[in-house]
Amino acid sequence: MSRLKDKVALVSGGSRGIGEAIVRKLVSEGAHVVFTYNTNKERAESICSELGSDTSKVIAYPCSLEDKSSIQAVVDQTLEQFETLDILVNNAGIIRDGLFLAMDDKDWADVIQANLGGTYFFSKAVCQQMLFQKKGRIINLSSVVSLIGGIGQANYAASKGAINSMTKALAAELSGKGITVNAVAPGLIETEMIQNLKSLVGDLKKKVPCGRFGEPSEIASLVAFLASDEAAYITGQIITIDGGISLQSRH
Amino acid sequence: MDKSKDEILQGVTDCLVNALGVGEDEVKLESSLVKDLGAESIDFLDVVFRLEKNFGIKIPRGDLFPENLLTNPAFISDGRITDSGMQELKTKLPHIDFSEFEKEPLVSNLSDVFTVGMIVDYLFGKLAEKTGA
Repeated sequence: MSRLKDKVALVSGGSRGIGEAIVRKLVSEGAHVVFTYNTNKERAESICSELGSDTSKVIAYPCSLEDKSSIQAVVDQTLEQFETLDILVNNAGIIRDGLFLAMDDKDWADVIQANLGGTYFFSKAVCQQMLFQKKGRIINLSSVVSLIGGIGQANYAASKGAINSMTKALAAELSGKGITVNAVAPGLIETEMIQNLKSLVGDLKKKVPCGRFGEPSEIASLVAFLASDEAAYITGQIITIDGGISLQSRH
Repeated sequence: MDKSKDEILQGVTDCLVNALGVGEDEVKLESSLVKDLGAESIDFLDVVFRLEKNFGIKIPRGDLFPENLLTNPAFISDGRITDSGMQELKTKLPHIDFSEFEKEPLVSNLSDVFTVGMIVDYLFGKLAEKTGA
C-alpha cells in the first residue's frame, strides 16, 4: 500500500523500538520520513541508509526532548527540505520507574518534561505549518498505563494521561482547521523497555487476553492508518492497542 | 516603496480567504471578522500567521488582536466595559477606532471592532514603521 505517498512525516524517537517500527511502516507506505534520535547516531544513520530511496527520503536529526530550540530546529530543517509537513508522530519518551514513595523528584520531573513537554514542544512547532496547509495529522504515543495505572509508574502514567487530555484539547482546537489529533495507547509491546519489566514481574503474558505481547509493527500499522486519508474523520481519540489487557473482565 | 491601502487590502483579503474559507467578494473593509466572516478564536491566530508570512513582518501576540485584555474586574461591570476598561482598550489597541463601540460598550459586542478595515489600518502603520516612513 502507498497510502502516504509523498507525504512528509516527522517521528520523534525513531531509532529504536516502536519509533523505529513507525519509521519503517511510514516509509513502506510511501512517506518521506524525518526522525529524531537522542544519542545513537550510528543506528539512526544505519536506518536512513537502509530505508532511504529516490521515492522515500529518510533523514535523522539528533534532538533533546527537553530542548525547545532543538525541537524547533528539527521542524525548521524539515520544512527547509520538504516545504511541507503532513504528519507528526510524538513517539519519543522516557521511563524512570520507581515506587511512588521512593520516587526521586528528578525522576518525576524528567519523565513529565520529556514525555509531556516533548509532545507539547513538537506539536507547537508543527501547528503553524499545518494551519497554513489546512491539513495535518498529529499522533501521540500514549500508553495503556494512562488508563489502568501501573505499579511504580506514577510519573510515566501521569505523563501519558496528560498526553491523552492534551490530545483531546488539541483536537477540539485544531480539527476545524483540517488537523486531526489522536493518541495511540499501546499495552505490553516487545521492545527493549519491556525486557526490564519482564525481569521484575515475571511472565506478564498471562495477563494479556491475546496471550502474547504486541509487536512494534502492530503499533506502527495503527499509526499509519491514523496518518492516512482513511482516518480523516477520527480525531480526539485515545485508541488502545493492548491485546485486551485493559479489559476489566479479566481482573 | 510603501504599499497603498488598496494593495494591503488585497493581501489581507488573500489571507482571510485562505484562513476563513470565505469568498473574496465577502471581504469588505467594514466586514466584521466574527459576525460577517464567521471567524472563531483559533482563526485569529491563523490570520496573524498568514499576515506575517504574506507581508514579511512580525506581529507580536496581542498586538493586532487582543489577548488577555480586561482581566481586571474593574474593567467590566454588568456586561459593560467601564471607563477604565475603555481606557485600557484604547491604550493597548491604538489602531482600533472605538468611537461606534463606545456608544454601547457591551462586552458581547467587542468583537464588532475587529473588522477588515482595522487590519488594513494596523498593517498600514506597521509597514510604514518598517520602511521608516
